[in-house]
Amino acid sequence: MKRNRIRIVHVSLIIFAFLLLSLGSATPGTPANMAYAASEPTVKKLVMGTSPDYPPYESVDAKSNGDIVGMDVDIAKAIASELGYQLEISGMDFNGLIAALQTNRVDFVMSGMSVTEERKKSVTFSDSYYTARNTIISQKKKAYDTVEQLAGKLVGTQLGSIQDQYAATIEGAKLKKLNKIADLIQELNSGRIDAAIVEDAVAVEMIRANPDLTMSFVPATEEDNGYAIAFPKQTKLVDDFNRALNQMKENGELQNIIDKWFEEKDAGENERSAFLNIDFRVLDGYVPYILKGIYVTLLFTLVSALLGLIWGTILSLFKISGIRPLQWFATAYTSIFRGTPLLVQLTLIYYATPQLFDFDIPALLAAGLAFGLNSAAYLSETIRGGIMAVDKGQREAAIALGVPYRKMMVRIIFPQALRHILPALVNEFVALLKESSLVSVIGVTELMRRADFVRASTFRSFEALLLVAAIYYVLVLILTSLARMLERRLRRSD
Amino acid sequence: MINVTNLTKAFGKNQVLKGISTQVDKGEVVALIGPSGSGKSTFLRCLNLLETPTSGTITIDGMELTNPKSDVARIRQRIGMVFQHFHLFPHMTVLDNITFAPIEVKGMTVEAARAKAHELLARVGLSDKADSYPSRLSGGQKQRVAIARSLAMEPDILLFDEPTSALDPEMVKEVLNVIRGLADSGMTMLIVTHEMKFAREAADTIYFLDDGKLVERATPELFFNQPQSERAARFLEQVL
Repeated sequence: MKRNRIRIVHVSLIIFAFLLLSLGSATPGTPANMAYAASEPTVKKLVMGTSPDYPPYESVDAKSNGDIVGMDVDIAKAIASELGYQLEISGMDFNGLIAALQTNRVDFVMSGMSVTEERKKSVTFSDSYYTARNTIISQKKKAYDTVEQLAGKLVGTQLGSIQDQYAATIEGAKLKKLNKIADLIQELNSGRIDAAIVEDAVAVEMIRANPDLTMSFVPATEEDNGYAIAFPKQTKLVDDFNRALNQMKENGELQNIIDKWFEEKDAGENERSAFLNIDFRVLDGYVPYILKGIYVTLLFTLVSALLGLIWGTILSLFKISGIRPLQWFATAYTSIFRGTPLLVQLTLIYYATPQLFDFDIPALLAAGLAFGLNSAAYLSETIRGGIMAVDKGQREAAIALGVPYRKMMVRIIFPQALRHILPALVNEFVALLKESSLVSVIGVTELMRRADFVRASTFRSFEALLLVAAIYYVLVLILTSLARMLERRLRRSD
Repeated sequence: MINVTNLTKAFGKNQVLKGISTQVDKGEVVALIGPSGSGKSTFLRCLNLLETPTSGTITIDGMELTNPKSDVARIRQRIGMVFQHFHLFPHMTVLDNITFAPIEVKGMTVEAARAKAHELLARVGLSDKADSYPSRLSGGQKQRVAIARSLAMEPDILLFDEPTSALDPEMVKEVLNVIRGLADSGMTMLIVTHEMKFAREAADTIYFLDDGKLVERATPELFFNQPQSERAARFLEQVL
């Protein structure tokens, strides 16, 4: 029985190593789909970065295999095939696209990205391949048809979009910038904003999914820059791409692709129940896609929790070791990781690792690492407290029996400390589970990000959110009841 | 067997032991008595280095404990210690408490350690408690398990730090009986105690400590009937 426990420690270490490996091999972000799967290995690969929450330009085909599809993807495929490259698509948050370009994680970005002076400072743009029309969206019962009517009104836009810049030029309008299209819809429906400025393709879909809204096109102006492909500053690709793009414009292929994605979709199925404006039927077909996120979320939580626990334990040992440099290190570590935002750590680890260590760290691994390292800082204090709370006599009794330090800690002190800190540990793990939604920033497709994709695809705000909230809640319930079982087991000696 | 020369111990500015020299023979049972704060417990704890002496030397069977090069863990295995508050491991059963160190430290096989543990439990009269957790035991039972735990390492020397002070009066006897049995078996023991009657009956030698010094070292008859120092006389007047 004694030996068994040691074996359990070994086994759990092996499991941990295995989990780390599986994090490394798990597909980063959205499954990258190969345009030309059968091509020989000599064909050079191009990685396209995109934020697949902007249909019809790019979205996740959540109803089938979760691939990234859309107009941008089709254009990219056509260009890549013309130039003889193999295309790989990497999904990430829109805000991370430029960083991904600068750190050479992707070769180019196509993500409904408009050309702005600001962006030109950090990237090189191709010729524009599509120019969208700005469109006003408002409630049917309080509709706005012209830009002039928006004076004195609160107007919503998507942060960083070209419409965001356009709206700034509307005289007298107050602006509210939101992260996602789905957020705009919600703010409109709840009347918190009077109108929203989006582009025509998005507007059409919004109206289709939300029958209470109406739209009105804004006349085109000269300054519209349109959407273009972004490259790193030092790229050599841009001329090739422009040439291919021109060719596609001339032979009509570009227009064909645009027509394919923008064609009028039947405006049927508009009979939605008005109650609270929630209709779970819109999730039909998307549920399996969201459910698959549970695996990613759990894997991530498990790895970061284990890493946090192991590393936190080591740090707490440093702190009570009485060895100055170790104490100093652990204290500084805790101070830094507790004193800076987790989101910053996550972003730094993901984007800096390839440059510092020449290792292209997968998003999920980076996320597990960041959360584990962060969690360790908090846990080291919790564990230290738990160790200190164990009666000093226990240590003396072990010393008097000649038990070596390591064995004393592992077999005598930790098991008792664990009992004291178990509730705090459970809190930490529950927090990790829920905070895992943060990692969508670097493109890990866990529950929250999948919900965002579905919100984008359905142009509906609440339903997917409520579904993932329920999933998180059930996961936390399971976690806490497991913890209660463990606690009961630890307390059997009372 | 144990040689102590000029042992001092200070906690900061507080000089607790002020130069103690003595020697203990094999099989000798020493009772350490004296007013509280006199340094009895500190002296005892120095003997297995739970407290690091400030100066002086301790030699056990020719091995110098106070020499930094000594294998302290190895010497410690030969010295058992029983504490006032037992310090049983609360998360282990009685049996596991007793077999833990023999298996993990001495490398004894599980079967041998268990056989030994059952034997020791029988010796302290607790055969039926092998699978209990410490929280289910009375104070006297806990202390007897603690003694069994120390004995399981087969020490040459046993140190008792006020083994009955934390016990309810009706449990003192059962513990003292076990210790008395050990004394009869020829174990070398040093016992810090307030039980004068027990000290008188069981000990070969009485150490009277006061203010960090070994004031008297005598047989029980001599000490209790004719204390040599005025301080010992006054102490005995108060406690008897």
